[in-house]
Amino acid sequence: MFVSYRWLARHVDLEGITPEQLGNDLTLSTCEVEGIEPFAPHLSAVTVGHVLERAPHPDADKLGVCKVDIGDGEPLQIVCGAPNVGPGQRVAVATIGTVLPGDVKIKKGKLRGVASNGMICSVRELDLGDEHDGIWVLPEPNGEPLAVGQPVGEALGMGDWVIEIDNKSLTHRPDLWGHRGIAREVAAIYERKLKPLDLSLPNLGGTPAFPVKVDDAACSRYLGLGIDGVQNGQSPDWMRQLLLAVGQRPIDLFVDLSNFVMLDLGQPNHAFDRTALDGGGIAVRKAKAGETMTTLDGIERDLETSDLLITSGDEPVALAGIMGGEESKVQGGTSKLLLECAAFDATTVRRTSSRLALRTDSSARFEKSLDPTLPEKAAAHFARLLSEIQPGVSFPMILSDEGSWTDPATAIHVRGDVVRRDLGVTLADDAIAAILDRLELHTTPKDGGYEVAIPSARATKDLTMERDLVEEVGRIHRYGSVPEAPLMGAVLPPAFDRRRAVVRALEDRLSGAARFHQVMGYSFQSDDLLAAVNGDKGDFVTARNPVAPEMAKIRREVLPSVLGLLESARRQRSEVMIFEVGKGYRPEEAGEDGLPREVHQLVVAIARAKVSGENGAFNEGAFFRMRAVIDDVVRAAGVTVPCWSPHENQLHAALHPVKQVMGQWTADGVPAGVMGDLDPEVRARLGLVGELDSDVAVAVLDIDALLGAPEAPRTYTPLPKFPSVKVDVACVAPDDLPASTLAQAITQAGKGSVADIELFDVFRGESLGEGKKSLAYHVVLQSANKTLTDKDAAKFLSRLERTLESTGAALRS
Amino acid sequence: MTDTDATLSDALARIATAPDADALRAIEREFVGKDGVVASMLGAIPTLPPAERKGAGQSANQLKQAVLAAIGERESALEGAALEDERKGEGFDASLPPPRIDRGSLHPVVQVTRELEDLFTSMGYLVLDGPEVELDHYNFEKLNIPADHPARDTQDTFYCDSPGSKATLLLRTHTSPVQVRAMERLEPPFRAVVPGKVFRQESTDASHEHTFHQMEGLVIDRNVSVGHLIGAMKTLLRGIFKKDIEVRLRPGYFPFVEPGFELDARCPFCTDGCSVCKKTTWIELLPCGLVHPNVLKAGGLDPEEWGGFAFGLGLSRLVMLRYGIDDVRHLLGGDLRFLEQF
Repeated sequence: MFVSYRWLARHVDLEGITPEQLGNDLTLSTCEVEGIEPFAPHLSAVTVGHVLERAPHPDADKLGVCKVDIGDGEPLQIVCGAPNVGPGQRVAVATIGTVLPGDVKIKKGKLRGVASNGMICSVRELDLGDEHDGIWVLPEPNGEPLAVGQPVGEALGMGDWVIEIDNKSLTHRPDLWGHRGIAREVAAIYERKLKPLDLSLPNLGGTPAFPVKVDDAACSRYLGLGIDGVQNGQSPDWMRQLLLAVGQRPIDLFVDLSNFVMLDLGQPNHAFDRTALDGGGIAVRKAKAGETMTTLDGIERDLETSDLLITSGDEPVALAGIMGGEESKVQGGTSKLLLECAAFDATTVRRTSSRLALRTDSSARFEKSLDPTLPEKAAAHFARLLSEIQPGVSFPMILSDEGSWTDPATAIHVRGDVVRRDLGVTLADDAIAAILDRLELHTTPKDGGYEVAIPSARATKDLTMERDLVEEVGRIHRYGSVPEAPLMGAVLPPAFDRRRAVVRALEDRLSGAARFHQVMGYSFQSDDLLAAVNGDKGDFVTARNPVAPEMAKIRREVLPSVLGLLESARRQRSEVMIFEVGKGYRPEEAGEDGLPREVHQLVVAIARAKVSGENGAFNEGAFFRMRAVIDDVVRAAGVTVPCWSPHENQLHAALHPVKQVMGQWTADGVPAGVMGDLDPEVRARLGLVGELDSDVAVAVLDIDALLGAPEAPRTYTPLPKFPSVKVDVACVAPDDLPASTLAQAITQAGKGSVADIELFDVFRGESLGEGKKSLAYHVVLQSANKTLTDKDAAKFLSRLERTLESTGAALRS
Repeated sequence: MTDTDATLSDALARIATAPDADALRAIEREFVGKDGVVASMLGAIPTLPPAERKGAGQSANQLKQAVLAAIGERESALEGAALEDERKGEGFDASLPPPRIDRGSLHPVVQVTRELEDLFTSMGYLVLDGPEVELDHYNFEKLNIPADHPARDTQDTFYCDSPGSKATLLLRTHTSPVQVRAMERLEPPFRAVVPGKVFRQESTDASHEHTFHQMEGLVIDRNVSVGHLIGAMKTLLRGIFKKDIEVRLRPGYFPFVEPGFELDARCPFCTDGCSVCKKTTWIELLPCGLVHPNVLKAGGLDPEEWGGFAFGLGLSRLVMLRYGIDDVRHLLGGDLRFLEQF
C-alpha cells in the first residue's frame, strides 16, 4: 500500500518529522515500510516557463515555433506541435539534458529545419495522467501566474513523498488501510493530536429511502445515499495530485472521489448511476447456480452460489466488495447517484476473490474484516467532500440502511503485571495506561488493572484479548527499549538422540573417508523420472496444486531423486559419488491421524566412466566399491554390519536382476536395505550409455532398520602377544562356486586361528580347464597362546584340503 | 715390499675407487671372505716353518683389519656423497601440480544445520523432527490460523491427497506445526529446535524456491518475556556470525505469536549499506514472538501459567548469506560443481 506524506499531513501535523524519520518510526512501531520515494521526481526537473510568442513553422502547418522565457536570460526557442500552446501561458519546460519518465532524454534538435532547444510537456509526458491532446497549461493555485524559472513541483506545491508499506504487515489491521488510520498511528507515536474531521452526514431530505433489500447474512450492513444535482467532470487538482502520489490514475470526479474516500478512510464504496438502477431497488443476494456476470474489467465471470451479489431488477450490478459490473459504469451525463457503503463478510469476499483470482483494493480491505460502523462515516465523508467541490449537490432521500449488524466495540481488562511480565519491562501502570490512551484505547482503572475500551475499528479481529494489548504497549514503548535478559532455569543436556547420531555418523563417513558428496533433493518426482527408473509402483501422496502437472507426485522413495542427478553429474565428472538422506511418504501405511508413513532412507550412488576391456582386479567394479563403502559406513555408525546375500527375485525394479544383494542381520529378519548395479535398461534410459557409458551401483538403506539393528559399539581387542603366520592359498573351484563358500572353508579349516583372509587374485584360464576358476588368498593365522610355526601352517593346509573336498574345490598345487 | 704389502695396496686402491656398496661387498668377499685372500693366507700358515707362522698370522690379520677399515671408511664416504647428491635435489620442480585428491562434502544446509543444532543443544534445547506431509490442523488450525484467514493464502500451500486418507493434508509451509506437536508430547518447561524441509507453492527464481529449509525454535517456560527472546536471539546470532550483532525487533504479524516480531540484524557484511542489506544496513533475519495464548491452549497448556517464545530461522537463507550464494536453486539442484565447494 502506498501512503502519501502530504495526504497524511491532512490528518496529523507532521511539522518537524521528515519522511525518512516517519518511515523508520512506522517500521519500529506499526508496520513494515518497504521504501520511501520522492513523488514524481521529474517534476523537480522541469521548469516553469512563460510562453512569450508562438509563430507558425515555415514548413509545417501543425508545428509552432515558440519563444519561452524560463527565467535565465535569453528566451528558449522550442518547436511544439500542441494545438493548445499560446502566448501568456505558464508551461512545464524540459530543457536540454532533462530526463523524463520512460528514460526520455531531451536533446537539442531540429524539427523540419528549425532549431528546438527543449520540450513543452504534456500531462502524459510527465506521467501525471493520460491527457496528451495538448501541453499541460499549469494551473494558478493562488490565482496568479506562477513565477517563471522554478521547478514545477515546487511552484505547484506538489512536492510529496510516497511511503510504501508491506501489505502483509497490515493483515491484522483493517483500520490501517486508509490514510486516517495510519495518521492515527502517527499521532500515537509522536504524541500528537489527530486533526478533527467531520464525519457526520450532511442534512438529508425526506424523500423515501432508495429501496434496498438484504437477503444474506454475508452483508451485515448496506447503506445507500441518494445524491442529486451532481455533474461529473475532472476532480480538483489537489485530489488528483494526492491520488497520483499513491499510484491511482485520476479518471473523473465520481471515480476519483470514490477512490479518495476509500484511500482516506479505508472503506470501499461504489457510486451507481441511480437512473440506471431498477426502480424496484437494490437487492443483495447470493448468486444462483449457473449465473454469470461481466465485471468492470470486461471479463465474464462464472458465479457460484457462495458469491455475494448486488443486484438491480434481479440482474447483478456488482460482485459485492470486489468489483462493479460493466453495466453499472456511471455514464457521464447522470446527475443522480446512489452511493453504496456496505459491510460484507470477510470470508465470503475472500473466497470469491481468491477463486476468481480477482484481488482488488476493495477485496483486500473487506477480507481484513472492516468495521461495520465505517460505512456511515465513509458516506458522510463522500457527501461532505462532494459538497465542497460542487456546492449545488443535494441529498434528497432518507438514508437506506439495511442489514443486521452489531457494533463490535468491546472492552478488555489488562493487568500491569502481565504487561510487565510479558514484555520484560518496568513500565509503571500509569505509563501503560498513557500509551493505550494515545492509541485511542481509553483506559479506566478497574480491579487493580484497567478496563480498556476497544473501538469498533480495532475490535473486528485485531484486539480480542489481554495479550493483544501487551503488544500495543510494547510496540509504542518500542521493543528497542526492552532490556535483554538471559533465560533462567536448569539447563540439562538433552537426552541422547540416536537417530540423529546415526545419521550424522553415516553422513560424516560418506562425505569424509568415503569421499561422497551429499545432495538434498526435492520431495517431488516427475512422472518421466519415475517411468525412467522403474520407480516404486505403489500409491503416491499427490499435490493438488503442483508447480507443474507432471510434478504432482510426492516421493515414496529417495532413489529416483538421486538417480535423476546422475546424467548431468556424469557430464561434469568421470566419477560421481553422491548420497542423500531423505524421506519418502507411503499412503498405504497411514497412521490413525491419516498421515502417510514417512520412510527415512539413505541412498548412495556411484557412477563412473566404464573402462573398456578388462579393468584390472576382480573387485574394482562400482558394485564392490559400494559393498565396501556401505559396510564401512554402517560400522562407523555403530551398527552391526548386515549380511549381504543374493536374492532370487529382483529386489528393486531399478536394479540389475542378478547383480544385486539384500542386507539382513538374521535370515528372515528385517531388511537393512538393498544394493546393486543399475538395470541396464534403466541405465540406458537415464542416459548413462554412449559417451557417458557408466558403471553404476546404488544402495538404499532404511534408517529405521539400522536403528533397530544390533548396535556394534567400537570395542578394543588386545594386540596379539605372539607372531602370526602368513599362508598363501590358491583354490581351484567350479566357476559357479561362490567365493563366500571358499572363505567359509578357510575359516573352518583354521579352527579359530584365522585372523584375516584377503582374496588377492581371481584367475580363469585354459591351464585350469573349462568352467574353473582359481581364487588366491592371503591367510593370516594367529594364536593367542603360542607362536605358530610352519608345522601349524602345514596342518592348516591339510585340513583345508579335506574341507574343500565337499565344496567341489581343491587346493591348487 | 712383501706380498702382503702388495696385496694390501691393491685392495686399498680398489676400495678407494669402488663405486658403490655392492662393489665394496665384492672386495670384502675377495679379501676377507670365507675363501678370500686372508683365509688362504691363514690356511697356508701350517705349511710354513714354525718360526714364520706367528708373523704370517699377524700380517694376515693386519691385512684383514686394514681392508675392513678401508671398506668402512669408503662406505661412509659413499653414503655421505649419496646424501649430498640427494640434497642437491636435481631436476626437482616444486611448481608441478600435485595429484588431485577428490574429497566428499556435507551439504551446506546440513553443515549450517549441525552448527546450529550444536549451539542450541549446548543451551539445553532438544532437536525435534516433524512430518513433512502434515495435517492442516497442525500447520494452520492449531497455530491460530483458521480456515479463510487472510494469512492462509491457498496459493502458497501445497494441499495433498493421500489415497485412503480422509484428513486434510498438505506439505508443511513452515516448521511451526512442531510447536504444538512438541507441547502435546513434552512436559514443560522445555526448549527445542526443529530443523526441516518446508514447502511453498510459488514459482521459482534466483531468490524463490518451492522447497527450502527452516529451523523452528521454541521455548516454553514460566514468565518468559520479550527480553528473554531478545537475549536468546542475540546469543543465536553470536553463534552464527561469531561476533556480537546489533539487533532490532519491530512489529511483524504472524498469527501464532503475539506480540510478533521481525528481527533485523545489523548487516554483518558492511557498515554503510551493501547489496545484501539493500543499502539499509539491516537485514531481515527471522520472524519471532511470544507464543500466542491460543497456540498454548491448542498444545494443552494453560496460558496463565505457561508462556514462551518461538522463532523461525530461514536455514536456506542463512546458508546463502553465509557463503554468498546468489541463487537459491543451487541448494537442491545437485550440481557437483556447487557441492564440491563445501
